[in-house]
Amino acid sequence: MILYTPMQLELVLEGLEQMKHVSTRKVDVDGVPVLIQDTGPGEGMVVRILSTDPRDYLRTDLYPGAVVELFKCT
Amino acid sequence: MPGDQNIWGHEGEYPCTPPEKPPTEPGKNPQREPGSPATPQTPHRVQGRTRESMESIKELGASPVPEVKSNIHCLTIVGQIEGHLVLPPQNKATKYEHIIPQLVALEQSPDVEGVLVVLNTVGGDVEAGLAIAEMIASLSKPTVSIVLGGGHSIGVPIAVAAQYSFIAETASMTIHPIRLNGLVIGVPQTYEYLDKMQDRVVRFVTQHSRISEASFRDLMFRTGELARDIGTVLIGREAVEKGLIDEVGGVGRAVNKLKSMIEDWKKGVPLQ
Repeated sequence: MILYTPMQLELVLEGLEQMKHVSTRKVDVDGVPVLIQDTGPGEGMVVRILSTDPRDYLRTDLYPGAVVELFKCT
Repeated sequence: MPGDQNIWGHEGEYPCTPPEKPPTEPGKNPQREPGSPATPQTPHRVQGRTRESMESIKELGASPVPEVKSNIHCLTIVGQIEGHLVLPPQNKATKYEHIIPQLVALEQSPDVEGVLVVLNTVGGDVEAGLAIAEMIASLSKPTVSIVLGGGHSIGVPIAVAAQYSFIAETASMTIHPIRLNGLVIGVPQTYEYLDKMQDRVVRFVTQHSRISEASFRDLMFRTGELARDIGTVLIGREAVEKGLIDEVGGVGRAVNKLKSMIEDWKKGVPLQ
């Protein structure tokens, strides 16, 4: 990977060694497969959408970082 | 009785609050049929929320105004453009695996007629940045980009990828050579590889803007302008004078330009 940025690389990559792999799991939200990271009881944060339907990527409730309520999931 | 179900005030704030109604009827498969749209598409992109409207009438005595969605989609490129490696959490990052399918959806969606790319980025991964830039450049719909704050390094190809580009008076763009990070093997091939990577950026920028290759390379390798690096910072009008960006302007002018481009596009005037 080549980073092309005027920011100091020490700042950008600081803490890279300490980063832990967060466990994610796949759930379906309204029929859209998404990868979520558990953040608390009954909710999870969207890490990535796994759908192949491009329209799902325009959904504002499923952006990466959005918190979804897991009772909507299957 | 109000409040006996939920002691937390707002509905849904307590994470374990069960839904009043199950989201889908039992026995009905929540998976939607293949090929059928996720939500019924209306031509004016009106989102009607019946249940919330009823609640609003009950609680506040007013019904919410139906939200009419714009025919312009605003794509924001902020922070670092994240590549094949997830960056540490102190970075604000634009994720290419989300932006790229989103651009496919924008190309395909009949409701979206133009794309406004708003940039305030410090650059990032070369591959991811060029991928986003190529996607924007190959859209068949009118695209306008606007650089606010900064559009540095790999933000430059993304800014010029749009059919028409704007830069705010105070916004800046840093043009500098690509560097390698990590373990570098001291062989001539390392230099050649780096040079090839740089050529990809230079070629894209010169093909999609009015700047000449010689002029862009001159800006890239200029010494004495940056304290810790070689290269140049172009501010607002300078970027227009060098031919990198089309016009100095803010959001109002960018949206007006996009609107007039959409009008031309609908009449069948070919996009430049």
